[in-house]
Amino acid sequence: MTGSRNIVAFGLGLAVTLLAGWVAFPRVLYVQKRQPLDFRHKTHAEKSGMAECSQCHALRDDGTFAGIPTMETCAGCHSEKMGTSKSEAVLVDTYLKPGQEVPWLVYARQPANVWFSHAIHVKRANLACAECHASYGESDDVRIYQQNRISGYSRDIWGHSMSRLRRAPHEGMKMSDCEDCHRRHNIEVGCLGCHQ
Amino acid sequence: MKLTRRDLLWGAAGTAGLLVTPVPWKLLDDVSIWSQNWPWIPQPTRDPVEVKQSFCTLCPNGCGMRVRMATGWPVGVAGVASHPISRGALCPLGFGAHQLNWHPQRLRTVRHRANSSSWQAATAAFAKACSEGPIAIIDGYPGRAASSVFQTFVQKRNGSYRTVSGPETQALASYESWSGVPVAGLGYDLENAQTIVSFGAPLLDGWGTPGRFARLWAERAAGSTDPRLRLIQVEASLSRTAARAWQWVPVHPGSEAALAAGLARVLLEERLVRAGGPMPPMTLAQAAEQTGLSTGAIADLARTIVARPPVVAIANDGNPAIAALNVVLGAAGACGGIVRKSKHAESYASADTGITSARAVLIDASVPWDFTPPTNAEVFRFAASDGGSGAADWLLPAPGFLEELTDVPTAPASGIATYAVAPSLLKAPPEVHSAAEFLGGIDPALITVEKVIHTRCADLFRGRAGILQGQETTPVSKCSSVQKLEEQLWKGAVWIDEPPRSAAFRCELKEWPATADSAQSVGSSSWNWSKAWRAPVLPPLATKLYLESSLREAPDRRNV
Repeated sequence: MTGSRNIVAFGLGLAVTLLAGWVAFPRVLYVQKRQPLDFRHKTHAEKSGMAECSQCHALRDDGTFAGIPTMETCAGCHSEKMGTSKSEAVLVDTYLKPGQEVPWLVYARQPANVWFSHAIHVKRANLACAECHASYGESDDVRIYQQNRISGYSRDIWGHSMSRLRRAPHEGMKMSDCEDCHRRHNIEVGCLGCHQ
Repeated sequence: MKLTRRDLLWGAAGTAGLLVTPVPWKLLDDVSIWSQNWPWIPQPTRDPVEVKQSFCTLCPNGCGMRVRMATGWPVGVAGVASHPISRGALCPLGFGAHQLNWHPQRLRTVRHRANSSSWQAATAAFAKACSEGPIAIIDGYPGRAASSVFQTFVQKRNGSYRTVSGPETQALASYESWSGVPVAGLGYDLENAQTIVSFGAPLLDGWGTPGRFARLWAERAAGSTDPRLRLIQVEASLSRTAARAWQWVPVHPGSEAALAAGLARVLLEERLVRAGGPMPPMTLAQAAEQTGLSTGAIADLARTIVARPPVVAIANDGNPAIAALNVVLGAAGACGGIVRKSKHAESYASADTGITSARAVLIDASVPWDFTPPTNAEVFRFAASDGGSGAADWLLPAPGFLEELTDVPTAPASGIATYAVAPSLLKAPPEVHSAAEFLGGIDPALITVEKVIHTRCADLFRGRAGILQGQETTPVSKCSSVQKLEEQLWKGAVWIDEPPRSAAFRCELKEWPATADSAQSVGSSSWNWSKAWRAPVLPPLATKLYLESSLREAPDRRNV
C-alpha cells in the first residue's frame, strides 16, 4: 500500500513538473506582441504582380540587405487609402502621412555581433528564401511576435519547438543551426566569417 | 518542519522531471545571451547599413577592406577578394582596426613632456626649431602623398627625410647596394616561383601582405606530398611556417648566413647553377659546424633547392648572405625571384643614421611606436594612440583609423606596382591633426595630400598603362578622363601596373658579403619578428586572437 502511494506521489510530482516545464514555461518565457498593423504578403504579391521576395526585400548595390521595405515603397500605392481595411487606415494615418516608418517586429533579427550576408546566401549559394524563412511570404496574416523575456530575442531564433528536436530545416536561427547547414553543404566558415 | 518520505519523492520527481523539460537548458542559454546584452554595452544602430571599400592603413601593405558602416560608423571590416595582392585576407589587427578609434589609449590632447599642452604651443615650438637649425622628418610608409608633403617641407629647409623600414624591406636592401635599383622598386615574384627557401621568414605567419603567400600555399602546396610550390623553411624552431613547410631545416639559431654560404659553395662547386657568383670564403665543414647540419645534409639541400626552379630565397632581415645566395641562384632579377617592379622608385635614407645633428625631429604616426630616433634633438611625435614609455618631447594626437585621406602605394614585398586611395570614411575629431596638416599650418604654401593624390591620378591617366581593378576591371587606356579614373580609385578600385617588360636587373657582387655576427643575427631575425606588431595598442579582437588564442606565434612561445 505504501509502495503504491509512493509511486503515485512520484508520478504526480513528475507530471506537475513536466506540465510546468513543457506547457507553462514557454508561455511565461515568451511575451506575445502584435505587429503594428496587419500585412498580407499573399494579397500584395497577387495584386502587385510581384512573384519574387527580392522585389520588395531587395539587396542594395553594395550587397547589403535592405530588409523590410521603407514607407517610400508603401507610399507608391498607399499614398491615399485604396480600400476600407483598418490596417490600411492605420498605415496611412499613423505612418505614411506623418512620414514615420512602421516599427515592425522582425522575426529573424540576429544580435548585433552577428554578420549575416543575404547576398552570399541567396546569390552565391542559391538558397531559396523559404529555406530559412519558411513559406511566410505565401501567408495572408501576420504572426504574433513572441519575444523572449530574458534574452529579448524573437522566438524564431530558438525555433518554435522548445526541445529543438526533429524540427524542420527552417526552424531555428541559432549559431548551431548555421553550423549544421554549413556542415550539410560542406562549407567551412571560421569564427570571423560571422563575428567580424 | 518535518521532511516526510512523500516530500522526498515529490522533490525527486520534480528534479527528475525538470531535467527532461527545456527549463534548465533554455534558461542557461537565455541567461548567457542576456549577460552579453547588458544595457550599458554600446550597440551600433541597425540601419542604414552600408558597405564601403577602403584599404587598411595600419601597415604599408594596404590590404583591401570592406568596411561595414552603420549610420556612418564602422562596425565591421572584411577582406576584399578582388584585391590583387591581399586577395580577401586580413590580419587580426586589420580585422579589429575599426575598434582602435575607441581604444582607451587613444590620444586626444597634445602632450609636452607628459603635461597637457596645445596645438598652438606645439606649432610655435616646431616653427622655432625650424628657424634655429636643420630638422628631420621620419616616415614609416614612404611613397605616400603625405611622404611627398614631408619631402617638400624638408627640401625647403635643407632638412632630411628619413624612413623606418620593416623586415621585408630590409631583406631587399642588399640588392639596392649591389644593383643600384632602389628597394622600393624591388619585390618578390612569388606567383611564378616553384621553390621558396625561407630563412626564418614567417611566410605563413604574417610576412608581407597577409593572404598573398597564404593563398599561394593553399592553392599549390597545402595537403600535397609533392606540391607545385615547395616551401623549405630554414629555422631554429618548429614555427607555424616550419610545421606546414614541405621541408623544415632545423639549424642553430643565428646560423642562417652560414647555411646560405654553405649552400652557395655546393651550388658553385658542383656547377648546379648557371648564374654563378663569388665563392664564399666559408668552407662546407665550417658551415656544417655553425648550422649543426652535416656537410652531406647541406649538399643534399642545395641539390633539392635547384631541383625545381624558379627558386628564390627569402630572408627575414637584411642578412646579405641570403641575398648573395639569390645572386648565385640566379634569382636576382629573374622571373620567380626578386624582380624590378618599377623604374620610377625612389631611394630613401634610413632613420637609423644621419639625424644626430638635427635641431628637431618630427616622427609621423606611420612610424612604429617602439622606434626611438638616435638623437638628442627635440622630438615631435604623431600617434593615434599612446603606447606608453615613448621618448618624445611632444606627443601629438594623429587621426585614427579611416579618419584621414591617404593613398596606398605598392606594398613592400609585392612583385607588381599598385596604387590605391583610402578616403577618410570618418570625420576626425577636431582635436587631432595629421603631420601633413601640422606642417601645412607652419607653411601655408605647402602642397596638400589631396593635391598630391590628384597629381598622381593625373600621372596615371597620362601614362595610359595598367588596369583599374574594382567591381569591374577597366584598362586605364579606356578611362575617359582623370576625374573618372580618380572616381574609381576613390570608390575602392586598385590601379595595377602592367607586368614590367623586363624584370631583370644586374647585381655587381664581386665578393661574398661578410657573414653576419651570430649573436646579432639571432637578435635581428626570428626573435624580432613579433616586432611587426608594433602598434602602440591592439584592438580587442587582435588581442583576443593574438594573445589569448595564440593564433599568431609569440616570441616567448618559440621553442628554440
